[in-house]
Amino acid sequence: MISSKSTPKPGEGSNAWLIKILTGLLVILILGIHFIVNHITGGLNGLMTYNEIVSYYARNPIIPIMEGLFVTVVVTHSLLGLRSVLLDLKLSRKTLSTVNWLFLLGGAAFIIYGIGLIVVIVIRGLQV
Amino acid sequence: MMIDKNKPSAGNWWKWFDPRGRDVGTWAYILNRLTALGLTFYLFLHLIVLGQLAFTPDNYFQFLTFLHTPVVIFGEWLVIIAGIYHGLNGIRIGLTSFGIAVPSQKALFWVVFVVSAIGSLYFGLKMFGVM
Repeated sequence: MISSKSTPKPGEGSNAWLIKILTGLLVILILGIHFIVNHITGGLNGLMTYNEIVSYYARNPIIPIMEGLFVTVVVTHSLLGLRSVLLDLKLSRKTLSTVNWLFLLGGAAFIIYGIGLIVVIVIRGLQV
Repeated sequence: MMIDKNKPSAGNWWKWFDPRGRDVGTWAYILNRLTALGLTFYLFLHLIVLGQLAFTPDNYFQFLTFLHTPVVIFGEWLVIIAGIYHGLNGIRIGLTSFGIAVPSQKALFWVVFVVSAIGSLYFGLKMFGVM
């Protein structure tokens, strides 16, 4: 809240709280780099054809690496944030444990899915 | 019984989003919550939709056509508004979490609010072709 220093909520855990703060700052940083690389100094000025985009990914390895990192931090930040919202509902210990596992497995699945998509795009780019 | 409006529970979760009679700190908190939930929903929807693009050029072309519809442009504008506010307010929270600028956080909120409003207006004018 505005009147005092931000601190972890009861049950949030100081590590989860710190990761939430740091991933939030990383999201802003990577999003800034993403816009500079893709839309200012890079080749993605405006909407391009499918072949141009996939080959752009394949020719510039920094792009898929950055996008993979972005997916990882943004999914982590959003699920830790959602967990923090749910903590306000004063969930029982058992329910919170279920939420923790669901978010951990769901988050891992989404990160793998996102990175998988990036790999598919790079492979398509190598074939163009 | 006295109910603390700033401490929601399972029974009164909707009070998170009730701005009546709140101080500016709670407004910041409500806006942060709303934008966080909106952006989380968008993120997962975005990942699912992008999955369709990875496979064929036809899907990609159909997606581009869909992106140019007014409803999608308006939705993207809402995402940008949420992203600007949540990002700037996140920096404010990050600073105060590490003990930086704690006494100035109310003033910082107003800076965040005004910059977000100006940024949102700029992107809105750009996206709807006014600029």
